Parts: sequence; structure tokens; C-alpha cells
Amino acid sequence: MTLRAYVIAYLLFLYAPIALLPLFAFNDSTIIAFPLDAFTTRWFAELWTVEALHAALWNSLLIAVVSTVLATLLGLAAARAAAKYRFPGKRGLMGMIMLPLILPEIIVAVSLLVVVIQVLGWPLSRWTIVAAHTLICIPFSIAILNGAFQNLDASLEEAAVDLGENRWSAFRLVTVPLIAPGIVASLLVGFTISLDEFIIAFFLSGAEPTLPVYIWGLLRFPARLPVVMALGTLLVLASILLLVLAEIMRRRGVARAGLKDKGGFL
Amino acid sequence: MSIVSLRNIEKYYGEYHALRDVSVDIAQGEFFSLLGPSGCGKTTLLRTIAGFEDVTSGEVAIAGQEMAGVPANRRPTNMVFQSYAIFPHLSVAKNVAFGLRRRADIPKQSRATLVEDALNMVGLDGYGARRAHALSGGQRQRVALARALILKPKVLLLDEPLSALDKKMREQMQSELRRLQRHVGITFILVTHDQEEALTMSDRIAVMFEGRIAQMGSPEALYRRPETRAVAEFIGMMTFLEGRAASGTVEVEGLGRAEIAAPEGAVAVGVRPETLTLLAPGETAARETAGTVADRAYYGDMTYYDIALPGTDTRLTVSMKNRLSRAVLEPGTEVRLGWEPDALLVYAT
Ligand SMILES: Nc1ncnc2c1ncn2[C@@H]1O[C@H](COP(=O)(O)OP(=O)(O)OP(=O)(O)O)[C@@H](O)[C@H]1O
Ligand SMILES: [Mg+2]
Repeated sequence: MTLRAYVIAYLLFLYAPIALLPLFAFNDSTIIAFPLDAFTTRWFAELWTVEALHAALWNSLLIAVVSTVLATLLGLAAARAAAKYRFPGKRGLMGMIMLPLILPEIIVAVSLLVVVIQVLGWPLSRWTIVAAHTLICIPFSIAILNGAFQNLDASLEEAAVDLGENRWSAFRLVTVPLIAPGIVASLLVGFTISLDEFIIAFFLSGAEPTLPVYIWGLLRFPARLPVVMALGTLLVLASILLLVLAEIMRRRGVARAGLKDKGGFL
Repeated sequence: MSIVSLRNIEKYYGEYHALRDVSVDIAQGEFFSLLGPSGCGKTTLLRTIAGFEDVTSGEVAIAGQEMAGVPANRRPTNMVFQSYAIFPHLSVAKNVAFGLRRRADIPKQSRATLVEDALNMVGLDGYGARRAHALSGGQRQRVALARALILKPKVLLLDEPLSALDKKMREQMQSELRRLQRHVGITFILVTHDQEEALTMSDRIAVMFEGRIAQMGSPEALYRRPETRAVAEFIGMMTFLEGRAASGTVEVEGLGRAEIAAPEGAVAVGVRPETLTLLAPGETAARETAGTVADRAYYGDMTYYDIALPGTDTRLTVSMKNRLSRAVLEPGTEVRLGWEPDALLVYAT
């Protein structure tokens, strides 16, 4: 009984704030408070007209796509090497690569800022954020792809080579189809991480804010809050969609490889 | 002419010396086995032939061609992996047809027929549309065989292909593999740590210990005349008795004197269980020794007796074919043991 109460309280605590988003997004008032006023879609309509918002959204999407693809490619290389080769210091090296996963983001952000401005002397732009987001996405990519490679018999690729394929075509014909669910999951997870990452983007964005940085700027204008709510509602919907997609891909992959489902990240 | 020729192969993994001066010539159409305990370098040797490992020094030649610098996908060999390495995302037919992709010499139209023939050959007709992961261990192995044999390699390499199967299945596949090899006439090189498997299947066996070939020969030669005690211990069952050699005779503890030429001094005398007989009352033999049944193990067709002999703590193992007319002896029974000096194997210690 207490356990059930605990679970209910926990879920409320977790999801109630998110549930409030659409509530106020459709509320015809600039004041975020109960009781609710009339139903409206004008906040959503307003989203279409704000140029700065579109620029920020475009920035975010671009950064998310590029850094996710980069992180997944690099993660693929690392996970494959870890699965395939024995070399001294492997564990230590893999640990080092995974470190950004537990490092406080504020520290990563500050040190990257110092490196980019003081050491390299680059101007801040979307590309500095791409570099930083690639960095923080790599550990997730490796963690996901490591799992994918662990389920993979190392002799499969060798068998393809034995049957006449070269290393690259063996990788493409055998390994890629079998770890495809992992690749997709890595892309989706990286995309969501990059899309809503705030601290690093805030430090490194310069004159090209990402969506979260732009939203943060909006918060100074209380009248714009409902627009933020509308935007948030859309983002939550998009995230749910992405995660469901990722899970579907993962399950399909597990079934294809004929493995037992050991539970994914959902 | 030999189809596979290995000359003074040395292989190091860093500091570890995995293959030591291995030289072998394998004839066209031969069923050749590499036999040895775990970690002795069997897989490593097979992989150097396949082209998955580089040798540190020495030469690998296949069909008269030097293989240095020739990658695995260009070698006229195919491999059946220990895990079978069946592509789980492809159907059985697509698995079998996989190697045909790169074969310009095989016309596209004939591929379906080839796949069917290959599946037929391994007894999997009608399984083409099955998903590969819906197969049993024995069926996977057949798919792996079909996938390799469809390419008509000069040499088929098999890395412990039967070790994942249960005993019944393993015995069935042993004779089937042998039959298949005779049928296709392709040279098979089989890696195994199971001496019985090597003995029943091979034309010739190389016994390996610690990266080195200890002895090579026909199953019968290896079983009858193992050159070292290590080989004798590894192949078949053998009891070792202490002995002392002097002037053309060996005094064997528990058994007695035998006329065998051996270097003077302490020796170990190996005795195979089936070369000894427990004499029935009235039966006689050229050499007889008295003993007592200490223990026995009943196998249905055979019974293995451990015989206590006077003057030694070593129990001599004797195998007897079970006959209806003859009762299985109980421990404690006094017996007479018949033996032949010719069947004793003497090793210096
Ligand atoms: N890639 C490698 N790097 C370092 N050492 C290796 C490598 N591959 C094999 N070895 C070592 O070489 C030795 C021989 O290995 P190999 O796999 O050939 O043995 P094996 O005779 O096939 O044994 P098993 O019956 O267990 O399969 C082992 O001690 C193994 O640890
Ligand atoms: Mg092996």
C-alpha cells in the first residue's frame, strides 16, 4: 500500500510539471496561474511568426544533426575497436572516453570556452557548439554501440571476409545491418541530448543562440511565457516520438538478430 | 603434390610464442586433423592458413602458390567457424549464396540451383527460406558447411566444428563429414581437441603441444606407436608402470621381465588396456601375471577393470569385451593377467 502511494507520488512529481505545459499552452491568458481562462491556439500561431525563434530552431537542428552524426561515427569506431582488438591500457582508455558522461556540464562548458577562446582563438559560432556537443554525445554513443557489438559474434565479419568480401564490404554487409538498431538508437539519443542541452550552448553560442538559449532569453519577458509553453509542448511531443521510434527500432533489431530481449533503455 | 605446404612457421603474439617451427605438407584430398589440448595453437595455425593471422616467419603455400601478402578473401580456402558464424539477418539460402556474390565466374542464373544443390548435399533441402536464427546447432553447422563448400575451395578449414553438438549429434556428424569429404574430394583440415574424433575421421593427424607438432602420422601409427610419453598420454587410454632397462630386457614392476631393447636405466612402460587379457579358468597366455580386481567400470559393451598387481601401487587398467557367457568380475576377484611384450611402449624418464 505504501509502495503504491510512493509510486504514484513519484510519477506525479516526475510528470506533473510536464503535464502543465500543454495546459497553459492552450490557455488564453498571459498569466501562468490557475484558474484557467478560455481555450486558445494563438500561442501556437504566434510561434510561426517569430523570426528569431526560427533561426534558433534551425541552429539547434543543424547542431544536433551534425554533432550526433559525428558522435555516432566516432562512437562506432571506438566500440568496434573495443570489441575487436586487445591492446594494453584498453580499459583505462575506454574509461577516459566515457568520462564526459559524469563530468559536470558546467566544468566542460567553462573549460571548452577557455580552450576555444584563449587557446585556439576561434570565434564562437554554431561550429564550436557542434564540437562540444559531439564531445558530450560520444560517451552515450559508445555506451549504446558497445551493447550492440557485445551481442555480435566477432567471427561473423571474418566469415564474410572468408567468403570473399573485403574488410569494408564485410562491415557494410554483415556488421552494419546487425548493429543498425544501435546506430539508430545512438543517433536518436544524441539528437535529443544536443537539442535540449543548455549550459554548454549558453557558454559557446555567441551570436547564434540555440533553441534552449533562445527560450531562456524569452523568460525575461513574462508576456511571452505562454509562447514558451506552446514551444515546450511541441518539444515534449517530438521527444516522445523520437524515443518511441528508438525503442521500436531496438526491438526490431533484437528480433532480427534472433536474440532474447534483455530490455532496452526504455 | 601437396595442396598445403607449411615451412618453418613461427608465430609470436607479442612476447608469446604461439607457433614453433611448424612444417607440414598436406596432400590433395586428404582429411587432416590438428589435435592438441586447449591453447596449444591449433586455431592459430588454422588461421594462418586461412589468412586471418600473419606468420612471424616461415612460408605458407597453397596449391603451389606462396601466400605471403594474400589476404583471406583471396585465398582458395574456406572456413567453418567454431561458432558457425551464420549471418543471423539472412535466410538460409542467402547465407549459402553469400560467397557467390564475388564470384564473377559463376553465372547469376545458375546460383539458385547451386544453392539448392549445396543444401541438398548437407541434407537441408527445403530449408532455404528459413531464418538462420531459427535453426538447431546441427542445422547451423550444415548451413556453414554448405556455405563454404558451394565455393569449391581447394581446402576447407574446420575449427572444432562438432564441439557445440551433443554426443549423439556429434557422432552422426562425424561420419557425415567423412562421407561428405570423400564425396566432394576437397582437402579438409580439422581442428579438434577430441582424440577420438581425430582418430575416427582423419587420414592423418598432427598432434600439437605448446605450439609445436609433437608427432604426425596415420591414426593407427599414432595410437600404436606414440613417440613420446606426452603423445601416448594424450591419445587413447594408457597406464604407465615403472621399469628398469638393462641389456636387452626391461624389468616391469608388477608384470615381470620383457625382452625389449631400450636405453639402460629407469623407464616408463605404457600399457594400453585392450592389449591385456583377463584369463578365464583354463585359458593360458605366453606371459601371465597374477593380480586382483580393485575396481571396475561397466560400459555395456566393455568393462574396464583396475587391476592391483603385486609390488606396485599403480593400478593397471584392462578392458574386456563383455560376453554373455562370461560374468562381469566383482572387485576382490583374483585373476590371471595375460600380456605381450610387443604391446608395451617404453619411454626413457
Ligand atoms: N590475438 C591474440 N593475442 C595474443 N595471444 C593470443 C591471440 N590469439 C591466441 N593467443 C594465444 O595463443 C595461444 C594459442 O591459441 P589458440 O587459439 O591457437 O589455441 P587452441 O589450440 O585453438 O586452443 P582451444 O582448443 O582452446 O581453442 C593461446 O595461449 C592464446 O592465449
Ligand atoms: Mg581454438
